Amino acid sequence: MSGVPHTAAAAELVTERRPVTPTWRRLTRQPVAMTSGFILVAIFVVGALGPHLVSPALVHLTDEWRNHPPTVREWNLFGTDAIGESMLVRTLYGLHTSEITALAATVLATLIGVALGSIAGYRGGWLDVAIMRITDLLGVFPLIIVFLAVYTYFTPVTAWKATLALTIFLWIPVARVVRAEIASTREREFVQAALSLGATDRRIFLRHLLPTASGTIIIAATSLLAQVFVLEATLDFFRLGVSTATQNTLGNLIGEGQANVFALGQGWWSWGFPAGVLLVILVCTNLLGDGIAEAIRPPRQR
Amino acid sequence: MGAFVLRRLGLGLLAMFVALSGSFFFFAAKFLPLSETPILHSYWVWLRGLPSGRSLNDGLLGGHLVATVGAAFGRTMLLLGLTLVIVVVIAIPVGCLAAAMRGTVVDYVLRIGTYIAWAVPVFVVAILLQEGFGRIPGGWGTGWFPSIGWAGECPNGQGIDPHNFQCPAAGHGLTHVGQVIYHLMLPALALALGFIGLNARYLRNSVVDALDAPYVTVARAKGLPERVVVMRHALRNAFVAFVPAIVSDIGVLFGAALVVDVIFQLGGLGTLFIGLLQLNADANTPVDTYELQLMLLFAACVMLTASMIGEILLGLFDPRTRLD
Repeated sequence: MSGVPHTAAAAELVTERRPVTPTWRRLTRQPVAMTSGFILVAIFVVGALGPHLVSPALVHLTDEWRNHPPTVREWNLFGTDAIGESMLVRTLYGLHTSEITALAATVLATLIGVALGSIAGYRGGWLDVAIMRITDLLGVFPLIIVFLAVYTYFTPVTAWKATLALTIFLWIPVARVVRAEIASTREREFVQAALSLGATDRRIFLRHLLPTASGTIIIAATSLLAQVFVLEATLDFFRLGVSTATQNTLGNLIGEGQANVFALGQGWWSWGFPAGVLLVILVCTNLLGDGIAEAIRPPRQR
Repeated sequence: MGAFVLRRLGLGLLAMFVALSGSFFFFAAKFLPLSETPILHSYWVWLRGLPSGRSLNDGLLGGHLVATVGAAFGRTMLLLGLTLVIVVVIAIPVGCLAAAMRGTVVDYVLRIGTYIAWAVPVFVVAILLQEGFGRIPGGWGTGWFPSIGWAGECPNGQGIDPHNFQCPAAGHGLTHVGQVIYHLMLPALALALGFIGLNARYLRNSVVDALDAPYVTVARAKGLPERVVVMRHALRNAFVAFVPAIVSDIGVLFGAALVVDVIFQLGGLGTLFIGLLQLNADANTPVDTYELQLMLLFAACVMLTASMIGEILLGLFDPRTRLD
């Protein structure tokens, strides 16, 4: 049987010929989205390593270094605050906490939202009704008020408590979106065909529904990530979230710096740099999110 | 349509009631003086006092709640109103311009600008404007506007005139109106910026969609100038999606208004709410649960009204979206 290639070679041939998915290709063709993606990953890597990058050489609590503007000398890139702590060090720590909180809350909320939302969308029944009613409840008050109230129960707030509080509420919007997507996919012909062929629920869910809904889930997760960053920073900014006494976050650094501008005449750099980092993260997340959304659901040619 | 709206209103009111009950248990269990009494009993007392309005007006710690909370709510709504005017006045020309010049440098620059405007958190915009244009002693800004407080008020002694050591007067009649708007200018701009970004982008896309429609081709074929084509035909049809969207956004805007209100210490709902919560964060001081509840009621009413009106407008403009 010389005409039939060796099976391993054939398998290799198949994997080689498998085209890059059109979604991925559409994404890589957007320079803006790709650049923001790279910047975002770079910031996240720096933030994850943050505490390890700090060396004792960066800390000098002397009079000379109080409220010092940013200089290249001595790595004082972000300036110092009123007691002479390097804002670069504090921002690195703040980035670390904020990033871990936001990423953990987003991942957890997405997992819970996808699990409950898909069960509700596929099975219907009491869970479906319950999720719809819970969605209504979350829309009653502005989110910021909800979290301000919830945080009073978590004082003193730490990063992990904040993650928990954000997860408890923010799986709801994800579940709503996933539920709608799964419920409408369920009625489509290919799912009905699989059903009539006797496919099990598990197979239909894993092979048909989840892949179809994956785009929606990714879009929901990226927009949630930006939302979590903003919410967390806003709450910390008002000193009702994580406090600088326990942990630095981007939000409470901005809050403390801004308060000290009024109180101690501290320079703009004490809040400007944490705010700048937060801003870059948010702009990049939004641009990347829109790029992903456009790649998954290409709009008509404009 | 009527039945659909009534059903949504009913569900909304029900959700509001359940959420307010939930928040009552939440606050009553946490804050003195109610945390010392059996919670179901205090809930029943609160509930019983709702029809007569007693629970809404008589504070647990004394005072007339409707007067205090209502005044703060009025300030927040005034801020919201001014913001909406600014959003509409700026977002419509920007969106139209970007759509009319799509694919050009102008479109690209506006797109990047609107992206950044929407991505920046509102509290960062607020402190940037406050330091950049507010009057802060020793600050680096231009000092064109008051940095803090409502007209005629100087919270914590900030904004006092250094010449006569008095807070600048709020004036009467038209002067007063002018002073109020002058003090609201920075907060409203801070609040508006993000929503200008969002709505300008949204409007641009709907105008671009409309410009591709056959009736626009007909209008162009008739020989109408491009300005008339955009303004009369494309923009008018783009409004169908734009107006309900901006009305529905009022709910989100309201949440952001609380944040801005605290930063500029305008004495609105946000200042009052965060003030009460921070009061308790410092010490175990009693916090009036009834007052918190009334604030939440006002907030919930704004959210519900905005979403209802948004949906009704959408149903009126675009019959396809009716769900009945």
